[in-house]
Amino acid sequence: MPSLADATVQALSLLILGDRDLWEIIGISFRVSVTAIAIAIPPALLTAFFLAHLEFPGRRVLISLFNTLLSLPAVVIGLVVYLLLSRQGPLGDWRLLFTQTAMVVAQVLLAFPILVAMSHAAFQAADQRAWETARTLGIASARAFVMVVGEVRFGLLAAALAGFGRIIAEVGASMMVGGNILHYTRNIPTAIALETSMGNFAQGIALGIVLLVIAFALNLSLQYFQGRGRLSL
Amino acid sequence: MNVTVATAATTAATNATTARVEIRFSAIDKFFHRRHLLDDLSLSLQGGRALLLSGENGAGKTTLLRILAGLEKPHHCMVDFTPAERHSKPRPWVQCRRRLQREVMYLHQLPYMFDGSVSHNLALALPRAMPRAQRAEKIRQALQWAQLEAFQNARAKTLSGGEKQRVSLARAWLRQARILLLDEPIANMDGESQARTVKLLHRLKNARAALFISSHNSDAFRHLIDHRLALENGKLRPGQCPR
Ligand SMILES: Nc1ncnc2c1ncn2[C@@H]1O[C@H](COP(=O)(O)OP(=O)(O)OP(=O)(O)O)[C@@H](O)[C@H]1O
Ligand SMILES: [Mg+2]
Repeated sequence: MPSLADATVQALSLLILGDRDLWEIIGISFRVSVTAIAIAIPPALLTAFFLAHLEFPGRRVLISLFNTLLSLPAVVIGLVVYLLLSRQGPLGDWRLLFTQTAMVVAQVLLAFPILVAMSHAAFQAADQRAWETARTLGIASARAFVMVVGEVRFGLLAAALAGFGRIIAEVGASMMVGGNILHYTRNIPTAIALETSMGNFAQGIALGIVLLVIAFALNLSLQYFQGRGRLSL
Repeated sequence: MNVTVATAATTAATNATTARVEIRFSAIDKFFHRRHLLDDLSLSLQGGRALLLSGENGAGKTTLLRILAGLEKPHHCMVDFTPAERHSKPRPWVQCRRRLQREVMYLHQLPYMFDGSVSHNLALALPRAMPRAQRAEKIRQALQWAQLEAFQNARAKTLSGGEKQRVSLARAWLRQARILLLDEPIANMDGESQARTVKLLHRLKNARAALFISSHNSDAFRHLIDHRLALENGKLRPGQCPR
């Protein structure tokens, strides 16, 4: 077993020299997670907006439900998607299991609750006068919604970053529904799990460094945008 | 309610012959918990007339204004948009909510400014389809109307309370609002700011808008208002008319 230092040096050289497989895995991770977050954001925003601004029976129950889903382990989501997409499952005919699409589906479900919960908080912090002023100025509700979104954009961006952070580093669901197929569904976290189990520590560490850099960049942006959000009140 | 106020402003308005808007509200009821905040109130608003609403803190002035503007749901309220016409028929508030939001303009005590410049905030009051050049001209007029030229490019959120109030009135002017509900428009303003605001309200009234103003400071509005109402224990009582 190589020392941690040796493995790290090897990892850095892999990254810098542009190891083909390594960068392909990174590319797959981004493609899947960016697609998932892009799909999840619009319905999550609308849901959060209605939860924040409409009084209807069951609203509180729904909010609690989303907050509960927030702490749902990824493997459970993986299990549900697996059962839905497996050959005998209700959507088995679509033949989606062990594809990138299946991973996107799982990641959309993973990102959705955190997007709703954080956007809901952002919309609640939004000034109610923003919506009322827009309506009072004769602005149609669709555009008024866009204006309110604009007013709380930093909070919403923070939600998107947090959601992305959750799915880019998630291993359980991706492994179960993606199958960790090289060149196809192997992404950063599932590759790390595999390389480590096979003793290829350099690869694992290299990908770990990438995840660390992503996490750092996300947190840095989060800090920035949350700060901006507060200032812009 | 037919009080003639001998100011140049109101005379000009009463002499005009164009049809005025009128809107009548009746049987307004609102409860908060067990408190009967608004108890079977009726009132009508007419173009070119200004009403002043007074009442202690917590009397329900803001709540009443927001109900009239379609922003807050009453427990009961009937609305008649054309009370003077023969076939007019009062309809329940819920059915009129959208039309109220469109036609009755409520101005918050602390006006809300959207992110962006003063000009941007004024532009929001104009129809989207308006051609660019016409829009720019309208905004220029509005800046002049409200004496805001110096703030044209200032970030609206950073304006003082009095300046925001003027932006808010300029938006109402641009939108050509016919019915304006103003919640404490001069609270926390110095004399100079108050005078400017009241001057703009005079202009809006002369342009035949209906004004309904809630305020603790009736003195500042004495030349503007035609009638006073006091909200007390859920009931509206006619106050004495100014001078
Ligand atoms: N959403 C609400 N839920 C419960 N009570 C409310 C709500 N909104 C207002 N109230 C209560 O209704 C009463 C009237 O409030 P409102 O703001 O209409 O008074 P106001 O006459 O405008 O007072 P002020 O002069 O202080 O502005 C207050 O006692 C307030 O606490
Ligand atoms: Mg009030």
